[in-house]
Amino acid sequence: MIKEDKRFISEQGEVLMLGNEAVVRGCLEAGVSYAAQYPGTPTSDIGETFQKILREQPDLRKYLIHHWAINEAVASSECAGAAWTGCRVLNPMKHVGLNVASDALSVIALNGPNPGAMVILVGADPGSLGSHQEQNERFYIWMFHFPCLEPHTPQECKDYTKLAFELSEKYDTVIELRTSTRSAHSRGYVKLNPIKKGLSIGNFERNIPKFNSLPPHAINNHIRLYERIEKIREEIPNLNINRLIPGENSTGIITSGMSFGYTLEALAQLGLFDVPVLKLGMIYPLNHEEITDFLAPLKNVVIIEELEPFLEVKISEIAHKHNLEIEIIGEEFFPKYNEYSTGLVASCLAKIFQKRPEEQMTTSVEIFNSYKDKIPSRFPTFCAGCPERATLYSILKTTNNMENTVICGDIGCFVMSFFPPQECSDLIICMSGGLSAAIGISEKTEQKVIAFIGDSTFLHTGMSPLAEAANYNSNVLLFIFENSWTAMTGHQPVLGLTEKKLSIEKICDAIGVNWLKIEDSYHPKRLMKSINQALEEKGLKVIIIKRECALQANRWRTSQIRKLKKEGKKLQEVYFHITGCQMCYECARILSCPAIRKTEVDGLETMQIDEDRCIRCEVCLRICPNNAIHKSIINALETEVHFREL
Amino acid sequence: MSYEETDIINIIIAGTAGQGVITLKRLIEFAAQKSGSDLVLGTEMHGLAQREGAIVSHTRYQMKSYQNPRKNLQSPLICYGDADLFICLEPVEALRRGIFSSKKTTFVLNERTIPGVMITADLEEYPSLNEIEEILKKSSEEIYFINATQLSLDKFDTNQNMNIIMLGVAIATGKLPFIKTEHYEQVIHEWLRDPDNNVQALQLGIENGKQLMRKEHV
Ligand SMILES: Cc1ncc(C[n+]2csc(CCOP(=O)(O)OP(=O)(O)O)c2C)c(N)n1
Ligand code: SF4
Ligand code: SF4
Repeated sequence: MIKEDKRFISEQGEVLMLGNEAVVRGCLEAGVSYAAQYPGTPTSDIGETFQKILREQPDLRKYLIHHWAINEAVASSECAGAAWTGCRVLNPMKHVGLNVASDALSVIALNGPNPGAMVILVGADPGSLGSHQEQNERFYIWMFHFPCLEPHTPQECKDYTKLAFELSEKYDTVIELRTSTRSAHSRGYVKLNPIKKGLSIGNFERNIPKFNSLPPHAINNHIRLYERIEKIREEIPNLNINRLIPGENSTGIITSGMSFGYTLEALAQLGLFDVPVLKLGMIYPLNHEEITDFLAPLKNVVIIEELEPFLEVKISEIAHKHNLEIEIIGEEFFPKYNEYSTGLVASCLAKIFQKRPEEQMTTSVEIFNSYKDKIPSRFPTFCAGCPERATLYSILKTTNNMENTVICGDIGCFVMSFFPPQECSDLIICMSGGLSAAIGISEKTEQKVIAFIGDSTFLHTGMSPLAEAANYNSNVLLFIFENSWTAMTGHQPVLGLTEKKLSIEKICDAIGVNWLKIEDSYHPKRLMKSINQALEEKGLKVIIIKRECALQANRWRTSQIRKLKKEGKKLQEVYFHITGCQMCYECARILSCPAIRKTEVDGLETMQIDEDRCIRCEVCLRICPNNAIHKSIINALETEVHFREL
Repeated sequence: MSYEETDIINIIIAGTAGQGVITLKRLIEFAAQKSGSDLVLGTEMHGLAQREGAIVSHTRYQMKSYQNPRKNLQSPLICYGDADLFICLEPVEALRRGIFSSKKTTFVLNERTIPGVMITADLEEYPSLNEIEEILKKSSEEIYFINATQLSLDKFDTNQNMNIIMLGVAIATGKLPFIKTEHYEQVIHEWLRDPDNNVQALQLGIENGKQLMRKEHV
């Protein structure tokens, strides 16, 4: 949609930006010269924005590098490496990405990023809007001592990014910038300042104690880390980052990030305009004097934060240490799970302040509750023509609907396989957790064990469990979905694979996989034959499903068609029509392609194919038991545009 | 209904993946900026929710802000019952976001349904357009249906202009105050592929919207 994005070129003015775009703009203004990350919602579009800028402004490449990394641990260490040559580096990751990166970060935090600066951007996800779970990753902040800034608006996303780099450089400390799905994907005004070029060539200077956090340096670096944190704590009042909205009420509120917006609007909804509010821009460390000054005149303080209490714990500690007589209200009124909203905060505050919320709000909730159970579900599901969906079809058929079979799911688009109507994922843990669990299950059961893994996940952490499964010759059938993209997070390349520099089958071979087949799920008969063979054999079997992600394949084919038409070429046109449909539901319940819908023709129910959604993969046509789906070709003698081969 | 410049305008856009919810949301936000709005804030979904799933976006703007931050637009999410306008690219999606509607809400709905896989599998039922209207009438009086997908197919030979036609219909309801048609047209020229068709789609929507309003108010 975007032609050329001036918002990353202009040196002044005011523009509309998403929180994530504002972070990238902040990096440009702060002279960042290196960024690396593994994709993950809500941080993937930071990388996409960097990539877009570098495509549009190739001259920048001398000063700025962006890497799609193979996983989060690699990304963090490569960022640290670049920082140690003197660069300012940004290392974005989603909340669960921090679990993977934590081993590396625990040491990088001790060493410190100087002579450069390092900011980790962690995208939290209360409400699991784009993740498998909503863990409260804030506790890592205490564990590793990451001073943490939490922006609310896109403007703050930019300002805090710049501040984070200054602090990181000045105090030789890794700084965390904590966004959430909401703040990352909210759009608002951002004022632009001049852009600074990053470092083009750096230099690594040997400093054995600093970069070798082993005893005795590990202890010394730990001591040094505390000193740095204390200095930052002292400086907080001068940073102008925490914001006070004064008021006379004897009950006050402390909050941060997105919750601040919900809180102010909720107070307005309740007509409470005199409640003092302290918005923390920095949620760790806290400056005791600043907090006690706010608490001193109050009888009660309400802490509003999404997920488990974090600020509440520290503020209670400060109040206790300073002998303040104040009631601290939080988790007993606010849920420790799910995302907050103005409505939710208003209903909790209504109880605390014993106020009635506006009628508009309460009636709308009541009316909605009266019909919400009648709304048909709309789960996320595979795209029309998805090769992963077609694979599930073949698995369901060959295992007689998962009889005596355990299917270990994994992370990737096929997480959606647990939704009805296919419902064929028995468990999900984390990236590569499926194959790992399958090793254990297969040792202790006589059931058939199937595991899934995507190509990006395979390179992220999947090679190690495969090596273990090969070593023990685990009785597992592994499907590797080689669709050529990191699809679920918005189609970032699979490092090395998309560019055809590496081969998954060669890796499998080198690991010691003896039973391996390469199949295409668009040909269910052949695939089912291979699955049947595999399930009869004992030991480790691998089937690679080699077929490009349908969404990407269709984008490519559509652009080919547009190009060829422009050149004046006549093209074949393919249509599918259904006649003699027996309403057996094979295509609707077991394949369940969303391009197929039910309709009535001359009073008779029949399935029908939505032409504008169908990508012509031909799977439904190959599986229809009644041969009711027919293909017709117009201009049959003209050029045919195939999907591209992988 | 007439608006003050200090009012916060709240718009819900609902639909399914691939219908152009996010494009529409961005158009309104950028047009609000062109109109000189003091505050614009909205949220959109990326990632998991994009595969055939239900999509919603919240768009909010305030022409003139108050000195006192407590009265201003502060959150990208609309409060329950507080939407002025619902633009529904798929009719049943209006119900899914119904918690944000109340007496003050105007609905514009595209008639073309997209039944989810559970409906096709005959495991759930899709309500009729009449049933949807009856439910919405519990909270709101202004409900307009239009077959924007058909209009797009008839005029442009593709369903791709449906979302812009729906924007035109929404403009005709008067629930997008202070933003002028030229602002949308400028944004379309700056940001969209094939701007001429899209401007035509916008005009088509506005005309059809005006006709609808006239019919309803006779
Ligand atoms: C540790 C961790 N990092 C990142 C993610 C985000 N994530 C979810 S699905 C996915 C893509 C996996 O791609 P692939 O394995 O190729 O499967 P596909 O989506 O292509 O089917 C990613 C990166 C995550 N869930 N966990
Ligand atoms: S994005 Fe690609 S892999 Fe994911 S569901 Fe769609 S077609 Fe399948
Ligand atoms: S050919 Fe059949 S299965 Fe493939 S996308 Fe079209 S309707 Fe779906």
